[in-house]
Amino acid sequence: MSTILSSAIARLLLPVTFMAATAFLIKGYASVGDGFSAGVTAASGILLQYLAFKPEVVEKLAPVRYSINIALVGLLLAFGVVFWPAIFGLPILTHFPRPDEPVTTLGTLEFHTAVLFDLGVFCLVFGFIVTTMRALMRVEQEGQS
Amino acid sequence: MNTMVMLAPLLLAWLAVPLTALAARSRSRLAPKIATSMAVLVFAAILWAWSMGGGVFTIPWAPSWDLTLSLALDGLAALYALLASGIGVLILLYSNGYLPHHLSNEQPDGERSVHFYVLLLFFMASMIGMVMAQDLLLLFVFWELTTIASYFLIGFDSHKQESRRAALMALLVTGITSLFLLIGALVLHAEYETFFLPELFQQAQPGALLTGSVALIIIAALAKSAQAPFHFWLPRAMAAPTPVSAYLHSAAMVAAGVFLLSRIYPLLQISSVLPDILIGIGFISMAMGGLFALKEVVLKRVLAYSTIAQYGYVVFMLGLDTSSAMIGASFYVLAHALMKSGLFLTAGAVTQATEEEQLTRLGGLARSMPWLAVSSGIIAAGLAGLPFTMGFFKDEILFKAALERGTWFAIAAALNAALTLAYTWRFWSGIFLGRVRMEAHHVPWTVVTPVVILAGLVFLGGILPSPFGRLASAAASEAVGIAVSTELAYHLDARLENILALSIYVTGALLIMARPALGTLLNGLSRLGQRSGPEHAYSSAGRGLERVSAFLYNFELHDLANRIATILTPTAVLIVIGLWVAPTSGAYRLSEFRLQDIPLGLVLLLTALSALVVTVPRNHLTQLLLLSSINFGLAGVFAFFGAPNLALVGVLIGVVSTLISVAFLTLFPQDTLRRAEEVRVPPGRNRRDILVSLFAGGGAFLVVWRVLSYPAFEENVAGKYMELAHSVHAKDVVTAILADWRGLDTMGEVTVLAVILVGLGSFVRLGRKQ
Repeated sequence: MSTILSSAIARLLLPVTFMAATAFLIKGYASVGDGFSAGVTAASGILLQYLAFKPEVVEKLAPVRYSINIALVGLLLAFGVVFWPAIFGLPILTHFPRPDEPVTTLGTLEFHTAVLFDLGVFCLVFGFIVTTMRALMRVEQEGQS
Repeated sequence: MNTMVMLAPLLLAWLAVPLTALAARSRSRLAPKIATSMAVLVFAAILWAWSMGGGVFTIPWAPSWDLTLSLALDGLAALYALLASGIGVLILLYSNGYLPHHLSNEQPDGERSVHFYVLLLFFMASMIGMVMAQDLLLLFVFWELTTIASYFLIGFDSHKQESRRAALMALLVTGITSLFLLIGALVLHAEYETFFLPELFQQAQPGALLTGSVALIIIAALAKSAQAPFHFWLPRAMAAPTPVSAYLHSAAMVAAGVFLLSRIYPLLQISSVLPDILIGIGFISMAMGGLFALKEVVLKRVLAYSTIAQYGYVVFMLGLDTSSAMIGASFYVLAHALMKSGLFLTAGAVTQATEEEQLTRLGGLARSMPWLAVSSGIIAAGLAGLPFTMGFFKDEILFKAALERGTWFAIAAALNAALTLAYTWRFWSGIFLGRVRMEAHHVPWTVVTPVVILAGLVFLGGILPSPFGRLASAAASEAVGIAVSTELAYHLDARLENILALSIYVTGALLIMARPALGTLLNGLSRLGQRSGPEHAYSSAGRGLERVSAFLYNFELHDLANRIATILTPTAVLIVIGLWVAPTSGAYRLSEFRLQDIPLGLVLLLTALSALVVTVPRNHLTQLLLLSSINFGLAGVFAFFGAPNLALVGVLIGVVSTLISVAFLTLFPQDTLRRAEEVRVPPGRNRRDILVSLFAGGGAFLVVWRVLSYPAFEENVAGKYMELAHSVHAKDVVTAILADWRGLDTMGEVTVLAVILVGLGSFVRLGRKQ
């Protein structure tokens, strides 16, 4: 399955997918795309690596090695944004800045807690897909050995 | 200042858990020492805090949800926390000597023994948290933590099927019933808008609602205390290592049930029927437990049935509903915890010394284990209610309380006390008296010392009962809400309590002599229990569920085509019915085909063609690519309809699912794939599949056609969302919906992903072990 062509394309596409994912994430609140799309896009880049290389090689990539941690961080981030306001007696999922307050922006990136929530979703979706893939690969490897 | 003193026990107890785990990481031999000394610290902290007068601690940490962290060290909490930590210390000491023997058949890696100590401490911490909780919801959380800890402790020997079954049974019986506690708490909250117990006590009004919700809570408490009809999990749970039985099944886990009853006593008291029900259940439990204890031959199971009976007394007294009965219940819990854990430890020490666990095969050990014999003799005398032990007073208060209610209650209690005397004698004399049947190996001092200490306490309680009486009175005062006290002393006169005590000794002696004759009756009773008791109901319910699950699996999940058919066919039937019933005016119109629709038409045509063609090729990769082209086609249609977000997600899902499927294909050996390609579907099956797909596809087609025949509403939610998006600083409405307006939905979905991930993780790790 693995040829020079496929591995070269897979390697080349990895930064491209990550860049596209970052764009989806940053522009999420201003344009098409959100944390979910970004997560799936980034994960598809990793899946390509699994097609082109042996699992041991792919496991060496940092986002793959720490996929479980990434998912966990995402979950905590999302939960944090949702439940944090409850500590101050506000309804859960209250976002800041509030509707009548001004928002700081950096290009299209808005500093808004909804974007933070989206980041959490991104991390969890990415971590989920990659971890699932790793788990399946591991089961398969053990089946052979 | 005072708050910190009061919180110290709880904080120390929770600190002990990670501390032991961390310390054991470097040297696993440290675990028992650290665990024991931490438990001593916790015990000392409770004594100190209680001598400082206890205290209350409240922070409303989420006021908008009415969640308050409220803890208190009152009389009731002090009694049960002292029991949990004090007996915990002795159990941990005992485990020092017992566990190496218990684990001797395994590799000496020490990891399992660390688990054991950490779990015991975790249980202790949960127990202390539970007794200090002033908030029903908080109490429920700690309640569940004790259940979880007990699951792992009972199933500690996870390589034995018996242990796993027992652990699961305990978890199911106490876990399912604990839901009743939650429901009861929620109903009370719905009515009185508070989980805070003192406030509930003030506001509660008699009525069906209160009776119902308190009855639910009582169910949870009775199951935890192993009362009829939930008692059956306790004898099974004897599969646990001895320290666990001595701790959980005498002083802590089963005590939690009667603790809860005492804690909600003001609510329970309001109702007129509930106390009487408690009397009934308590009576049944004590009679049944006593009779079975007289019959049983396995040491620990004798004690388990005895525990059922003894907590029956406590429930009985709680039902008597007088303040002296309340003191009696608290004193009984205290005395019983000391005695029963002592007897459990004795049973464990005997088994460790002789490798025997049946009464019928033991005997004459008094000579080789004199310390154990004398100590457990004192403890057994206590359980039987003989003078110069704490047990005398536990029975005296019991009779006093029962007499206040009526003569028949006193006679019922006395008969059961005679049963107690009989089976306690049988237990003790069966081990230590009679013919010497086997030699006893040496056991470490840590195994015998806790029994000696407990015997000392039981004896001390018989000579100087007032400190113990004060502790029980303080607990009872807390439960009934007014200060009550009792004077415990020996009275050498002909009062009814003394006469009853004497009559018990006589009846007990008669029962001991008549036991051989009772054998048939007891056997019959236990056979009846096995055949139609609640345990039978439990196991047949389990088997029934298994059968249903197997049937569903074979019918639906076994085969992918079957599964899809069972989803599609009923859906299609419903659709057809819906279409049949709905009015048809204006439906199924054909709009004119304009020039600018040609691209859309082409995309749709391509998608439809791919869907048709996908049925033809037999090569898996080709099928996959065709399927993904359907996906891309649909994404294109969404793009034409002006839904770029949907189109994007469609494309992404198409890409990822294709990639995963291709990755799957690469995992299979080539010839396996080739063989799978050559498998022919039987023609009958094929016809059925075609029919199902045509039916379902046709239904979907009609619905879509029909919906699209009507013009979209002028005023719809989309327009509203568009307007609102600016106010939440969003330029993309879809993201605003996902992250803000419907953020809770997103969070739910995200949580599902996380849960799947956890499941997957344990699944894969499991695969690695085998």
